[in-house]
Amino acid sequence: MLDFLQTLSDGVLFGAIYALIGIGFTLVFGVMHKINMAYAAASVGGAYAGLLVLKAVAAAPAWMVFFGAFLAGGMLGWLVYVTCFHFIPLSSPLAPLMSTVGMLLLIDEVIVHLTAGMPQSYPAMFDDVMLRLGEFTLRGDLLLVFGISVLAMIGLLALLYRSRLGLATRAVAQQPIAAQLCGIRVTRVNALTFVITGLLGGLAGALIGASVGALSPLLTTPLTVKGLIVTVIGGLGSIPGAIVAGLLVGGFENLFQQFRGVTERDMYVMLLLFAFLVFRPGGLFPAKS
Amino acid sequence: MDFYFGLAQTVGIHTLLGLSAYIVLLTGQVSLAQAAFFAIGAYSAGMLTVLAGWHVVPALGVGSLLGAVTACAVGFPALRVKGLMLVVATLAFGEGVRLFFFNFDYQVAKGGIRVGPLGGEGFRQIRFFPEHGWTTAEVMLFIWVFVIGVMALLWWFDRSRYGAVLRSVGEDEVAAQSVGINLTAVKVSAMTVGGAIAGVGGGLYAHYTTHIEHANFNVLLATFAIAYPIVGGLRTVFGTLAAVIFVQAFLIEGLRFLGDWRNLLFGALIILAMNLRPHGLFGRHSA
Amino acid sequence: MLELKAVSRYFGGVRALDGLDLTVNEGEIVGLIGPNGSGKSTTVNLIAGLFPLTAGEIVFRKQALRDVPVHKRLQLGIARTFQNIRLFGQLSVWQNLWVAQNSPEDRSRRGFFSRWLGGQTRGRKEIAQLLEFSALGHKQDELAANLSFGEQRRLELARALAARPKLLLLDEPAAGMNAEEIGQLRQRIVDLRAEGITIVLIEHVMELVMGVADRIAVLNFGQKIAEGTPAQVQSDPAVKKAYLGGS
Repeated sequence: MLDFLQTLSDGVLFGAIYALIGIGFTLVFGVMHKINMAYAAASVGGAYAGLLVLKAVAAAPAWMVFFGAFLAGGMLGWLVYVTCFHFIPLSSPLAPLMSTVGMLLLIDEVIVHLTAGMPQSYPAMFDDVMLRLGEFTLRGDLLLVFGISVLAMIGLLALLYRSRLGLATRAVAQQPIAAQLCGIRVTRVNALTFVITGLLGGLAGALIGASVGALSPLLTTPLTVKGLIVTVIGGLGSIPGAIVAGLLVGGFENLFQQFRGVTERDMYVMLLLFAFLVFRPGGLFPAKS
Repeated sequence: MDFYFGLAQTVGIHTLLGLSAYIVLLTGQVSLAQAAFFAIGAYSAGMLTVLAGWHVVPALGVGSLLGAVTACAVGFPALRVKGLMLVVATLAFGEGVRLFFFNFDYQVAKGGIRVGPLGGEGFRQIRFFPEHGWTTAEVMLFIWVFVIGVMALLWWFDRSRYGAVLRSVGEDEVAAQSVGINLTAVKVSAMTVGGAIAGVGGGLYAHYTTHIEHANFNVLLATFAIAYPIVGGLRTVFGTLAAVIFVQAFLIEGLRFLGDWRNLLFGALIILAMNLRPHGLFGRHSA
Repeated sequence: MLELKAVSRYFGGVRALDGLDLTVNEGEIVGLIGPNGSGKSTTVNLIAGLFPLTAGEIVFRKQALRDVPVHKRLQLGIARTFQNIRLFGQLSVWQNLWVAQNSPEDRSRRGFFSRWLGGQTRGRKEIAQLLEFSALGHKQDELAANLSFGEQRRLELARALAARPKLLLLDEPAAGMNAEEIGQLRQRIVDLRAEGITIVLIEHVMELVMGVADRIAVLNFGQKIAEGTPAQVQSDPAVKKAYLGGS
């Protein structure tokens, strides 16, 4: 039982990262009704770029690397917007999607080439800290990851619900044409959505690096798949859904791994997705039609 | 000369992969599962020729059938999932199949060595063609018989009422239902045909490369599958063929000297193509 | 032929239709009018099967339509047009009509292979007739998206007729038309009635509906507030207050 709880809690803490990735996918979907397939790749790319801080500032503290990843993620987000969404007419159904796939491949390859395919170790914070509650342990670094993720989510929600930009974003999400007629610069809102999700993504990438201890380009595909699964389970377009689903997937994934091993773990996550698709295709928080 | 035959083989097989996605795309379903049906065709046809000693043609038939049956089974739940969610669901399915083959062992002792799929190591020694003395040219022609056959079939569909009905479903499902079209039958049938085509393509792939493993059937391959018809445009089957030739021949082979940067260029090429011609090389009809 | 008994459709808290009773007899043209939001399009969508009923019954030729899927209703003989035209833009005029030939007669006429895999020579006669009726023969290979607005409306109607319907639901067919086009539409509707097709006509264009309908039902806020001949409805004070204006 204790094992179970321990595994579950570790998983849920890690799941906060999946929640961030899920939020990125779901926010872009909510505002533009398109999936940005390059999102997870850009997040990992941002995390790698964060390592450049170590080149510039010798022995830089971990938080500086995280911040570098955060900023780099934002820049990559903007780049994805420009290459895939700015020029392509949004009415063509498949072109933006394919373009983001192209971007996914591109970013992946750039990472592989610049690092010669070797995993890069990533700085962590509090990785030697262990909080003990009786026989129950909470890893310090996972707690930090969870904490930062929560702060990021709060920041995002505050932005969306308390700022003018957030209001404009929600307006565009609901009625893009009417929003334009009200004077909202839709292209600017779209671009900013990508930058903001990019910032979140870069941070998420850094947090993955921090909790796993290393970054590898092999992360991109599983992260994309899991991020999309979280988005779908949470309900496309729903941020609370992505949060809950992220924690859920993180928890379950760790449980599957504990009880069935790493190789079978991902198959069970797929099964979880299919269960949702069959029984609750709208997700945890379906969009009202 | 063998180099060009090899290129023609690759183009042929990728065309089959692209065509399997083409027919599904006509109905408006974006499926990243075609690589999974391709994988099923590859492993099953390979196992039949290697482990059971079958001739390649009936083995391909079974590969195609299994691809079709799996696709049909996927087609029904796919109906419940709209639009972009289908992309995710099929992506997850594809990954699930790949992981299945990653864990799949079935070896049999033949003539002193063990043959058959071995999990992560893959399935080696699919040597029907070399063992029966087929030359590269003969293999190429064999592959192209199937490619031309499938292209002819799909071209015939496009000119028939079935093709028009497929496209009407892809355009507007509500209107299609309202004029009496059974959406379930149309979408599932397209998915099934796509699975059959992918199954044949996979079987041919397994025999021409002689060694397959789970990593061959990854998200990248699933992406190639839909990239070809999207880049080529859905107006005609020739668009898919043109896109395959464009990507494989020009890009991958012609730029071979750029070595490992091929995938990067593939990504960049897709981005460029989508920005310049969002409706594909051959585009939609004029309008 | 068609009976709606206490039909209701709620969308969350909004009562788009609230207890509508309506009978349509064979060979009639019944008009359905009312202000925007009164439930007219909802009625058509319910009869066509696009939404499920929240309450009530719809019976068509003695068959309850509750669980009948949309495409099967077409096969039973119910066809409809859409208020915002929903043609298959990337198909030609000819193909738009071709894919709509799903009536039981067409389905049993030819074998499976002939019907699905045959080329454009199949079904030629009926389609040619429809094209003539809609004055679209000269445009048969043109993409539907390239037609003018009036031509698209005619194609929309022709496509509904391709299914050999017994009951035709027309959802604001005259919207956006000029006087001449309305006159032509009026004649077409009369011709269709002469061929034995029952018609339910939703319209805002009063001259059309008053001139062609045998009976008119007036909706407001999801409920029927009046029913009768055009003359009766026009002089009904409740109708005037809600919709037609005047004291």
